[in-house]
Amino acid sequence: MVLLQPDPFLNELTSMFEHSTEKGTVWVTLKRSSLKSKVQRNKMAAAGEPLEYRCLIRATNGKKTISTSVGPKDHQRFQASYATILKAHMTSLKKRERKDKKKVPGADKKEGGSKKPKRA
Amino acid sequence: MVYITSWDEFVERSAQLFRADPDSTRYVMKYRHCDGKLVLKVTDDKECLKFKTDQAQDAKKMEKLNNIFFTLMSRGPDADVSEVTGKEQTEAQSGKKGRGRKQ
Repeated sequence: MVLLQPDPFLNELTSMFEHSTEKGTVWVTLKRSSLKSKVQRNKMAAAGEPLEYRCLIRATNGKKTISTSVGPKDHQRFQASYATILKAHMTSLKKRERKDKKKVPGADKKEGGSKKPKRA
Repeated sequence: MVYITSWDEFVERSAQLFRADPDSTRYVMKYRHCDGKLVLKVTDDKECLKFKTDQAQDAKKMEKLNNIFFTLMSRGPDADVSEVTGKEQTEAQSGKKGRGRKQ
């Protein structure tokens, strides 16, 4: 399991999505964690220090797992980038309206490719 | 495995589940591009709620839910979350440097 900083994590996540367009799955898990062992946590609780919680995010494509941890200060920025990535890649879901622009059902790889936003 | 059919019910119950046990609740998302399917799961290892879809509109709703979970998880279960607007309130409360908010 690779622990990364939020930005490299987002880059890896993007490439995971890109590589699993033909077949494969992308799993993303969100969990709250303080990233401290139980002993440390008990000590901190006993000392009266407030525990600092972070949001642990893991992603896997079945073969490789990457993870990152996001604190309250960076979570806004991370969440915006994360939402952009998801929007860009979840193109094979069906649209409600019947008037499809040029979408050929089943061959969404091209659309997914052309919708790739360039992240600065 | 309980598949919930109503999105709002799924969101409501997931938030409740999280607030009840923030340390063991996790939110999982599975996306298969080849099948065009998205499945969401929220579980605290005792109870499990799932939601599956193949609709693009649900992806948008899921983004809002992602925001909610990010806020709850990084700030704590007591963070005020009323969809996205709730986050702005929390920001004001957390006492960041004044940005000239009119009160």
